[in-house]
Amino acid sequence: MARLYALAASILALFLAWIGIDAAPWQTEQPPAAAAAPADPAAAALAAYERRLRRDARLVRRVLAQRERQQSIPAPPAVRIVTAAPAATTRSS
Amino acid sequence: MSRHAFRAMGTDVELLLDAEGAEAQAALRAAEAELRRLEALLSRFLPDSELSRLNRLGELAPGPDLLAVAEAALAARELTAGRFDPTVHDAVVAAGYDRTFELVAARGAPTPAVAARCGGGVEVDAASGTIRLDPGVRLDLGGIAKGYAVDRALRILAQHAPALVDAGGDIALTGKPWPVGVETADGTITLELAEGALATSGRDRRRWRAPEGERHHLIDPATGLPSEGDLLRVTAVAGTAAEAEVLAKALFLAGDADRAAAEADELGVPAVLVTRAGHTALAGGLA
Repeated sequence: MARLYALAASILALFLAWIGIDAAPWQTEQPPAAAAAPADPAAAALAAYERRLRRDARLVRRVLAQRERQQSIPAPPAVRIVTAAPAATTRSS
Repeated sequence: MSRHAFRAMGTDVELLLDAEGAEAQAALRAAEAELRRLEALLSRFLPDSELSRLNRLGELAPGPDLLAVAEAALAARELTAGRFDPTVHDAVVAAGYDRTFELVAARGAPTPAVAARCGGGVEVDAASGTIRLDPGVRLDLGGIAKGYAVDRALRILAQHAPALVDAGGDIALTGKPWPVGVETADGTITLELAEGALATSGRDRRRWRAPEGERHHLIDPATGLPSEGDLLRVTAVAGTAAEAEVLAKALFLAGDADRAAAEADELGVPAVLVTRAGHTALAGGLA
């Protein structure tokens, strides 16, 4: 009989522990805005660093694309403005 | 100085060769023959041209000239992120430019402009020498083909003496410093170069009457309609006439003068920009 009581008590203790863990009382509910902004200064600095890295990466990609376009176009010939009478005149074709 | 003027590719052509005599005359005739040969291959208005056959059949194994121009046009489409696009054929036709310009100018456009799709698939298989067009895609190589022809004619003349080829404003020259005029908003400035080419793209010549007032031939591939930016014309300087054609058109289609000037500066393309409001800007190191 005593074993039966002990078993019932163990099962009851197990259920109570389960309910307690499932409730997760160590988690405090926060408003969404507060959840989005990490309160930890180190995490905030890390997030800012990541944003800076992404911005720099975009800048590097833009500069590389610009250089690629410049290298794709052959260097133009030397040209200067003069006052001589033209031998021919370009116009809309 | 020997001069030879004639009409080809729907425009006035003038060849200048800094030499005299029978050999110079023979060179001028050879250059004219080359221009006419290329027109016969690359014109969209001649039903038997290789280009017309390609547009009809959708696939063709043409000679080396059409292959070279098609490859150059596709490279230009890539380089300009689609602003220069040889697949504007149907949009140009829908805008009313469906026959030679003389006939279009005389008739005008009877119906409102209709946008046509641009940017279709074109495959140039250099290994087999074949060009394939996606269904419904047709090519208009107009400007770049004329630039290519000008470059080829110059190559013939350059074997003899300093030379200049002018085909309706597409100018290529070599051998000595040549002064070339560029129309501005209120006159002309003269540029001097010893090698290279100039081309001008604008809405001030190839234009015609339309129900909305006036229409021109420079199609913006993004809309499939004639461009409506604030530029009147753009002149670009480059190593070859084909390159100058592409750059002038791409800058014209930038949308507005400030953006076109910024792009010319960024790419180092000497350019003269004239706005519809009557302003002239020099860009790309030209000052």
